[in-house]
This record gives sequence, structure tokens and C-alpha cells, in this order.
Amino acid sequence: MSPELSVVLAAVSVPFAAALAIPMLHRVLGERTGYAGAVVALACFALLGSQYGADGAVELSWIPSLEIALRFYVDGWALLFAMLASGIGVLVFTYSPSYMHGEDGLPRYYAALLAFMGSIIGVALAADLIAIFLFWELTSLCSFVLIGFHTDDRSSQYAARMAMFVTVGGGLFMLVGLLILASVAGDVLGTAAVVDLGGSATTFDLAAILENPDAVREALREEGLFLPVLGLIAIGAATKSAQVPMHFWLPNAMAAPTPVSAFLHSATMVKVGVYLLGRLRPLLVSHEWTLLFATLGLATMTVCAILAVASTDIKELLAYSTASHLGLMVAGFGFATFVGAEAGAFHLLNHALFKASLFLVAGIVAHEAGTHRISDLGGLRHDLPVTAAVAGVATLSMAGIPPFNGFYSKELLFEAAVESVHELGTLGWLYVAVAVFGSIFTVLYSLRFLALFVGDRPTGLGDVHRPPVTLLAPPALLAGLALVVGIYPDVAVRAIVQSAVDATAVESHAMHVGLPTSYSPALGMSAIAIGVGGLSYPFYGRIHDGIRSIPAAIPPVSANWWYDAVVGGLTRTSAWLAPRVHNGLLRTYATWTLAGTCALALAGFAATRALTLGELGIDASPAIALVLLVAVVAAIAVVLSPSHIAGILTLSILGFMIAIFYILASAPDLALTQLVVETLVLLIFLFVIEEIPESDEISLGRVTRDALLSLAVGATAFVTVVVTTDARPDGLTETARHYVENAVPEGGGTNIVNVILVDFRGFDTMGELVVVAIAAISVLTLLVMRGRGEAE
Amino acid sequence: MRTTARVVVPIILVVAISLFVEGHNLPGGGFIAGVLTTTAFALLYIAFGLDFLERGILERDVEPGKTPSRDRVVVAYRRVFTFGLTIAVGSGLVPILLDLPFLTQSYVEFDGVPLYGHVEIASALAFDFGVYCVVVGGLLTIISAVGAE
Repeated sequence: MSPELSVVLAAVSVPFAAALAIPMLHRVLGERTGYAGAVVALACFALLGSQYGADGAVELSWIPSLEIALRFYVDGWALLFAMLASGIGVLVFTYSPSYMHGEDGLPRYYAALLAFMGSIIGVALAADLIAIFLFWELTSLCSFVLIGFHTDDRSSQYAARMAMFVTVGGGLFMLVGLLILASVAGDVLGTAAVVDLGGSATTFDLAAILENPDAVREALREEGLFLPVLGLIAIGAATKSAQVPMHFWLPNAMAAPTPVSAFLHSATMVKVGVYLLGRLRPLLVSHEWTLLFATLGLATMTVCAILAVASTDIKELLAYSTASHLGLMVAGFGFATFVGAEAGAFHLLNHALFKASLFLVAGIVAHEAGTHRISDLGGLRHDLPVTAAVAGVATLSMAGIPPFNGFYSKELLFEAAVESVHELGTLGWLYVAVAVFGSIFTVLYSLRFLALFVGDRPTGLGDVHRPPVTLLAPPALLAGLALVVGIYPDVAVRAIVQSAVDATAVESHAMHVGLPTSYSPALGMSAIAIGVGGLSYPFYGRIHDGIRSIPAAIPPVSANWWYDAVVGGLTRTSAWLAPRVHNGLLRTYATWTLAGTCALALAGFAATRALTLGELGIDASPAIALVLLVAVVAAIAVVLSPSHIAGILTLSILGFMIAIFYILASAPDLALTQLVVETLVLLIFLFVIEEIPESDEISLGRVTRDALLSLAVGATAFVTVVVTTDARPDGLTETARHYVENAVPEGGGTNIVNVILVDFRGFDTMGELVVVAIAAISVLTLLVMRGRGEAE
Repeated sequence: MRTTARVVVPIILVVAISLFVEGHNLPGGGFIAGVLTTTAFALLYIAFGLDFLERGILERDVEPGKTPSRDRVVVAYRRVFTFGLTIAVGSGLVPILLDLPFLTQSYVEFDGVPLYGHVEIASALAFDFGVYCVVVGGLLTIISAVGAE
């Protein structure tokens, strides 16, 4: 079955439309706006559900001449991710009104949340590289708004900026990677859906690229661009999915309200990187791919699990745990075998279920107990029995204890690691060891989280209220789903995971999961992880302190230290640079602008090797020579003139000489214009010049600098004219001939200049008109309304 | 100075109009006509002072010697360039109604018109008039604002 364009389009656009309507809705509904959001999310979920089983691409033509179209691609992997986003969206919107009770800025919160949901569905369904990038950055933008929700809070601002800086920066690397990919793929595919951009074919159609993965991969290799593309896309995915060493933004992002953390920073946004890896896996999978992503993923999994053990705050613990599990998914997709794809796709689902649930539980704990410090909490099962049960299911799933759902996907990862031993030898064994080592810490911090609910209540803990049902139902539903997946994993696999795996794996393979019935190496690894984790839990305090003491002793170990160093350095450099380029004196601005323009223009000519100076024949009649000579003399006189007024009057000699030159060169229109404009400019100059103080003695250094700059500007203008007129063929060009021949029959005028202006190039003239209007408005604003701002 | 202006300004305006009208076939056009008209106004400003137009022609009251403010700048100038921009865009939009690309131009010829004989009306004249208005309005706004300083 092929997907319906209208349904797909609606699923992507409805959240954005709803986001626009939020301010109005909020007037009517007040704090209940969240339920409206839940309805929107439910509608998206239903729309996506109606496409269940669909597979294929649809497109809406946008600019046909450039082959730009809104392309969407629907398959199991896209549907899994999009439905996960909208489904968890429903729960988060249901949860929010109670949690965000009494907060300011709710319209902004809900609008950003809805826009975010639309962007995520967009990333999942888009089949155009440019569209993917746009939606990708939109999610970063929404995340920035939501992390910085408490706009007055400094730590919120810091965290929001950090998340923006890291994820958007990574996205730019990815953009370069995608553009290279598009250009290479365009050469290979060379058929429909290819645009001609300046001589090289380019295609942004991801669906077409994914239909010919082998050909595109070969072409990338031949041009030596395979590794750059792989690396650039890896940077994008790693920053977005919080992989080591770019993991540090995720724990900081916990400054966001908890529903946001559950939605963006565990279930959906951070998985976009993983999603893209899954999407591009059939295209890029190779030996290098495995080395890169298996290493990256396992390193993240282990490092972040260790950091989670060192956490002192429940949200921080969950954040590091999220990064660690993202590492697991990346590693899964990293292994080239189909088991790897199964591990990645299945864990994407499992992790979303249990981690969103845990975040919502953490929200309940923080909301009802008033603190989220781990050391202040304990024995919560007495106060929050239902929450404790939900947390129990989700935590055991996170630890990978059978028969909870996290166990199956972790087994798949272990299996993939074991299989990699055949291919990679010693390195494969290392992967196995690291995977087990990381899992031990996973078990440890999971037990610690569970310990919040069992044991005795610490004396400092005050009254803990029962949460309302709207807070409790969403995590309970998620944990219930996790439990169902845990007991009947084959149901989930058949429902959606199998088709997701088919989309991400290289070869198709029927997937089977279930409780192990006989011994396998993967089972042994699970047993070691759970066993060692359980046995070392009594020493949790000592391990926790030990890990915490390392970054305290050697700051450069922590990635956050590097971030602060880099950003701090940049800030200092900018603070130092700004007064030098930006000091409020017009001449400084002119200097930098002109120097920059000259440098760029000359560098451009040099780069394109346009600077081939042919012979410069001087071909001028005596009259023209005389006029030009007067102009040159006038120019020199301007520089030497004693006062501003004299300078300007002399300058106009130059202008009038140019007008005469136009007349001699038989261009009456230009001459007329030049004459009149020169008069007007002279007039305006005379108006303004009285305001400018006569210059005092100027230092020699400044004179030299100004002279050099003027020479550079003059040289640039000269070179530009020479280069641009050098290419002129003898006689009339084709364009000129076209204008000459068609002016009378088509434009009905014998003045070609005017006919070109109003008939052939009317659009350009329109643009110039707008420029004139804008200039007038700017002058008005600057001069006439200047006083008002100061008065207020 | 004032006598000269009295004589010269009408001549400039007439020349500007003729440049505008015959712009399609002879040197001239909306832009140059607009700039020329502006110089005529600028001459008036120089000869009679800034408030002359407001007081003498539009018969509006202006407090002399006031600091530069909004009412020293003739509001009509701003209207003129808004108007011009509207005409230019509007004349470009008409072809769309007739299912032609934006800014398509055409022309009609009339023969045997009294006094002129052969007259040719190009639809581009409307667009050119827009250009004229924008240039006049824009430049005069700038000059009166700068001049008021």
C-alpha cells in the first residue's frame, strides 16, 4: 500500500497550525490548553496510524523548475518514530496542565511543544535532504525555547544556550555532509529528480538515493568523499544524540520542565540522531561505519552510565542514563549485522517507553516531594504506591532484567557484539568487554533509582502528596506498554519493529525475540552484568564518591570544562574585538566594510583565476582623454582641498566630467541621469556637510592607513571593471541582440534602455523601486524620529 | 535667485513631464523624469526656504523655526512613494488576472488622434508612472528630512 499525500501532509502540518492557534486557545481555555494539545497529538497519531503498513514516497511539487518538492517517505522506521513522537506527545500534553499549574508563559510552552512535535514528525517522514535538515534544526530551536522556559533563571539560560550551540553547530556539520552526498548522488542517479545547479547535478531526493545505495556508496568511495560524508553526518548525529564527547549538554538540558525532559530529551529529540543513522544505515554501512559507530556508541554507553552513577539529582541520573542508552542504540546500528539493526530499532521503542515513563515519575516525585536530590529521597512507596509500581517496572526494564522489555534489546546488542568478534577479532572482544562493563553501571544506577521507593523515609523528607490522576496516568500507561512488550515481545516485533528493522537493515531477516531457553554468549554477558551490578550495589556510596572525585581533581577530564573554556575564550575574544570594529565612528565602519569587501572581491577573482590581465590597449579619442584628464585632476584636488565644502564642489567636477564622458560615448540616458543625480547629490552633501566638524591634525599612521585603503578600493574597482568587461565578445552579445531586435515589436518603444527597464527586466526595476522606498523610510526614521527614542 | 526659480521651475517640470511621456521612444523615462522633478522642488527649497511649500502652496500653518519634526516634512511625499509603489505593483498584477506572467507589458496604437496624429499607449506607462512616483516621493522625503536638519 502506498501512502496518502494528504494524510502525511496533514500529520506534519497540523501541529504547526495548532501551535499558531495556541495563544487564542489559551485565552479561551486557560490552563486547560494542554488538553487541546493532547487532542492535536492524538489526531496526528490517528493520521499516522491510518498509514500503518504503507511503504513508499509521495511528493508535493513546490518549485517544479528547480525540482524542489516536499517529499515524504513512509515506511516502518519512519512510522515507528513518528507514532512514538505523537503518542508520547498525547501523554505529555495530558500530563502538562497539572505539572505546569500556575506557571507563567504557558502559551509559549505549548506552542513550542506543538511545533516541536510537528518538526519531529517532519524529520521522521521527510524524504528530502534539505527538508530533513530544516526540520532537524527546528527541533533544536524548539528545544532551545523549552530548555530556556524559565527565562529569568541563569542556569536555564546557560543550559539553553549550550544545547543550542552544540546541536545546531552539529547540524551545520551534517548539512555539509548532506550537501556533498546530494551532489555525488546527483551524478550517479542522473535521471529524474536531479537539478542542474551551476553545472553539477544534485539530488536531494533521499528516497531515490536509498533505492540505489550501492551505486551511491561506490561513487562516494571513488571520489574519496566517503569518509568526509560519514564523519560529517556522524558529528551531526552525535551532537544531537548526546554521544561522547558531546554528551554534556543533555544533563544541563534538564533545566527544562520535566514534561519537556520526558518528551524532548529522552523519547524523541535526542533520538533524531539515532533515527538518521538508522535511515542512512543501508546507504553508508561499511567497515568504517562499524568502527566509528560501534566505538562511539559503546564509549558513550559506558562513560555516561558511569556518570549516571555519580549523579546527585534524579533528573541528572536519568539524563546520563538517556545518553548511555542512546549510545546503546548507536552501537547497535553501528554493527553491520542485522542483529545490530534489530538492537537499535527495538531499543528505540523500548527506551522511549521506559525512559519517558521514568521522567514523568521523576516529575511526580519532584512535584509532590518538593525536591529532586537523590540523597533527600527514600521510602517513597509508602506515600506514592502506584508511582512506585510504575517506577519499578520501568527501572527494571532500564536495567535490562528479564523479562522486562529492556532485556531483549540489550541481548540483541550483546549478540551483535559477539558476532562482531568473527569479523573484527581482538577489537570485537574489546567491544564485548566494554558492553558488559557499561551494563554493570546501568544495573547499578537503576538499583539506586529503585532505592528511592524502597527502604526507609529519610527524616528530612516532608509531606508527600498523592499525585492527581492526570499526572499518574501517562507514566502508568507507558509502563504498562513496556510490561506488555516485556511479556509478549513478539507482538511488538510483528506490529512495527520488524518493518522498522527491514528499513534499516541491509538484508532482510525475520526477527525473533523471546526469553532464552538455552545458554548463549549474550545470555552469559547479561548474567555477568546483572550479577556484578547487584553484588557491587552495597558499595554504591564508595563508587559514587570515587567517580565524583576524578573531575574535581583533574577538571579537563570533564567535557563541560572544555565547553566552558571554549565559550569563555570566544566571549573574551569578542569582547576584545568588538570595540575595535564597532566603536560608533562612521570611519571605522567604513574602513572595515570597504576593506572586507575588497578582500572578498579580490579573493574571489583570485580563487576563480579570473585575474588574467590581457593587454590593456588605450583606445580613446582626444575629447574623451581630455575629459578624463580633467576628472583625474579634480579627484586629486578633492584630496588636497582645504575644507569640506571646497572638497565637495571639486568632487562634483568629477561627476560632471563623467556625465560628459557618457555623452561622448553616446549614452544620452546615462548622461542625463548622471547630470541630474550629480546635482541632487551635491545638494544633499551641502546640507549635511555643515554638521561635520572640520578635521584637525591627523596622525601620519591614519593618513597612511586611509591612503592604503583608498588604493585598495580603487584597485578592486579597476580590477572588477577589467575582469568583467574583458570577457565581452566582439560586437553585440546574444542578449543585447535580443533586446535590440525585440524592443520595437514586443515593447513598442524605440528607447531600448527604457524598454529594458520597464518591459524586459521589469522585475529588477521593481526591486530597485523598493530600495528607493526603503532608503527614504530609513532616512525618515533616522533623522525625524531620532529624538523620540531618546525622549522616552 | 527667486526670480530665476520662478522662471526655471515650470520649465524643469514641463521638461520632466515630456521626458516621462516620450520616455518609451526617446531618451527619458520614469526614473530620470522623477529625478528631474525632484531637482525642481529642491530649487524651490533653496530659493524660498523649507516652509514655503507648506505655507505658500498648501496653505498650511507651520510654526517657523521649529526643530526638525514630522510636520516639517511634507506628509504628501510619503504618500506619493507609497502610491507609486502601489501603482507599480498593481500594474504588474493586472497581467496575472489575464493569466499572463507578472509584469507582462503590452501596447496599443491609435491613429488619427487630433493634434498628435499617431499615438501609442504602452501599458508600461503605468509601471513607469509608478517608478516616477516612487522616485519623486522617495527623494523628496530624503531631501526634506535632511534639509530640515
